[in-house]
Amino acid sequence: MNNILLKIRSFFYLLPNIVEVLFSKPETIDYPAVSNKLSASYRGSIRIISENCVGCGLCVRDCPAQALALEKESKHSFRLIHYRDHCASCGQCEMSCKFNSIYLDNSYKEASADRKDFFKVLVDNTNKK
Amino acid sequence: MDNMNLLGLLFRIFIFPGFFFLLIAALFLHWLDRKLIARFQGRIGPPWYQPLADLVKLFAKEDILPSGTNLFFAALLPLISFASVLTASFYLPIAIQSAPSFQGDFIVLMFLLSLPSLMYFLAGWVTQGVYSVIGGNRSLLQYFSYEVLFLLAMSGTAIASGSWSLADIRLAQIKESPYIFPQIVGFLFSLAGLIGKLKREPYDIPKAKSEVIAGALTEFSGKKLALWYLTIQLQTVVGLSFLIHCFFSGFWQMSTFSGFIVFLLLLVILQGMLSAISAIYARLRIDQLVYLNWYIFIPLTLLHNVYILLK
Amino acid sequence: MSRITVPIGPQHPLLKEPLSFLVSLEGEKVMDSTLRLGYVHRGIEKLAEQRTYIQNVYLIERICGICSHIHSTTYCQSVEALLKLEVPKRGLYIRMLLCELERIHSHLLWLGVLAKNIGLNTLFMYAWRDREIVLNIMEEISGGRVSHAVNIIGGVRVDLNDKHLSLLQEGLRELTIRVEEILRAIESDRSFRARTRKIGYLSLEDIKRYCVVGPVARASGLDIDIRRDAPYAAYNELSFEVPLMTEGDVWARSILRILETIQAIRLCTQIIHNLPDGPVSVSAPRKVPSGEVVSRAEAPRGEVFYYLRSDGSQKPARLKVRTPTLTTLITLPGQLKNMQLADVSAVIAGVDLCIACGDR
Ligand code: SF4
Ligand code: SF4
Repeated sequence: MNNILLKIRSFFYLLPNIVEVLFSKPETIDYPAVSNKLSASYRGSIRIISENCVGCGLCVRDCPAQALALEKESKHSFRLIHYRDHCASCGQCEMSCKFNSIYLDNSYKEASADRKDFFKVLVDNTNKK
Repeated sequence: MDNMNLLGLLFRIFIFPGFFFLLIAALFLHWLDRKLIARFQGRIGPPWYQPLADLVKLFAKEDILPSGTNLFFAALLPLISFASVLTASFYLPIAIQSAPSFQGDFIVLMFLLSLPSLMYFLAGWVTQGVYSVIGGNRSLLQYFSYEVLFLLAMSGTAIASGSWSLADIRLAQIKESPYIFPQIVGFLFSLAGLIGKLKREPYDIPKAKSEVIAGALTEFSGKKLALWYLTIQLQTVVGLSFLIHCFFSGFWQMSTFSGFIVFLLLLVILQGMLSAISAIYARLRIDQLVYLNWYIFIPLTLLHNVYILLK
Repeated sequence: MSRITVPIGPQHPLLKEPLSFLVSLEGEKVMDSTLRLGYVHRGIEKLAEQRTYIQNVYLIERICGICSHIHSTTYCQSVEALLKLEVPKRGLYIRMLLCELERIHSHLLWLGVLAKNIGLNTLFMYAWRDREIVLNIMEEISGGRVSHAVNIIGGVRVDLNDKHLSLLQEGLRELTIRVEEILRAIESDRSFRARTRKIGYLSLEDIKRYCVVGPVARASGLDIDIRRDAPYAAYNELSFEVPLMTEGDVWARSILRILETIQAIRLCTQIIHNLPDGPVSVSAPRKVPSGEVVSRAEAPRGEVFYYLRSDGSQKPARLKVRTPTLTTLITLPGQLKNMQLADVSAVIAGVDLCIACGDR
């Protein structure tokens, strides 16, 4: 009996499915009117707690995309620079940093048409004494 | 001709049931189609103004054709198909309006509705791209199988009423009963033929995206493409109205408001059927389509017609 | 009859990645086809020689967008073998969990592509809708939907907490129902069968001659699966079946992949039930002792093979990657011969190409 039903259904197999889906909630969202929820652990943009940074350069050494650069003048005077267009959001810098200074949050990187937006000075200690 | 009559004629041509009404109906049905398919697939679907926005955008776009194309023909072909669909709408008593009817307008309508497919084939040759040529060829290959099916299945109603005039088909239905009940088989096969005419899935072989990109229309852009799209959308309305007229028009009396509502309702329901069919079937291969139409659908339709004749 | 040549690719709606096919047609029949590769060659093998072992994990992950995790797993395995590191059990289990989730995601993605190519858009949307469950789980666990960055040399860097586990259980239960529904659909739907049966046939001899691996080989009756034949990670502690079909056409490949998806869901369930306690990684030195090593793993498309040679520095001396796609690609002209043009899309989708893997 079941077999015969399946045989008949095989001529229009998806018909019951589409009717069922028609009366259920859509799976897509009306982006950008409704914002897309990213999970808390999503690896998005680079953030820094600049007080913690000591300019050790561990993150720079391990970054696979050469998205970080350290300009060091002396032990306490340095600049840590992040190039967003290079960054792969891999999170290795967060792993490498021993001082809990650099981390990734779940905010989304927006595209930009301006080159300047891709260049960000994370830590600037050069003008402090 | 007195003034009133002329005004009435102009109203008929441009407003209702002429161009304006058709345009609104075409855009609405197109939106309904996209929305329904989207909802069948679990998506949200476009907002109501999307088809209009698409058209406006296409009309504003630059019109490019590959060098070596005969520009005159490339412009003429969409115009002819557009004009033929509009002319067809003039002969067809859309909604509750009566139309000039004469013996044999059934066949004229058939012919006018099949012109766009021929133009489509020629468009493939005119624009010369590889995909266009293949798409055009495929549409011609497919043409005979669904055109014959459509004609045979629809002519069941003409046989039953004993006349090739649309007005008579309607009168016969009012006298007896709508043909949808005795001729449900014929109706389903005409729907299949119409799907072929409109090149919708699963008969969308000439414009199969994963094989020939957009078929014969691959090289078209801008205004001409917009005109092609508009033609197909109008063809949907005219084709469905034709079906409604031949199979359902016994349901209402001439020129009543309720009749108009029933007509619109039927239009929406039939469009829903078309959308559901597109959603649940995979695209057929050309040999499968020809086999299906010539070996299964057409013989069944013929049997059906013989049965009607004998009855 | 005159022949016309139809270019398919490098840019074509059929292909999701650049690849060039020149198909010469007689009418609708394919007489001949030639293949050109290399549009996404990025020189990753050479690039890997200029980066440290740690940086390479992320580089290797970008060989492929779909099976990214399996590539980094294989790479990490080879480095760990050179370092003689013992990865903690919990780390291995989490690695396997992501491998299997990735297999589900890859197979459903592939089914969507096939359905799209034969014009069955509804099935395409359904497959991708169900794939979203897996993607959300992976995003929750690792922080990335396709590039997980979970593997590090010496283990994994994420740990599963109770929230993850409950999410996994719920998602997998939902997924089982949906995948079984999809299996029933593609088994019985007539229009799907009509477009995929007896198309792209590969016999067992062809499979062996071309060294085809993975689901394509298993759909023709070749019983290979690295997870069972040469268990890596902790696959020998889990029980699973390797589905096998003998028809060798596109339809068999689709059924087989969905069966594999069901097995993968089973494996995931086993993993979260038997998850051992303990640390997830051990720390690894930056310098790797000299030596050479070979590592294999079963990617969603078949066996990936890594060869790594170290000269005792921080950077590898040579890294060779062999991906399953390349061998499958070579079989395509043979499969396409005497097919109809309309079947080209089904056949190309049917073997599940990953051009980025093949080109590197
Ligand atoms: S996230 Fe990765 S690529 Fe980006 S700065 Fe950090 S280490 Fe570099
Ligand atoms: S962010 Fe961390 S690792 Fe990078 S320089 Fe600062 S302290 Fe060092």
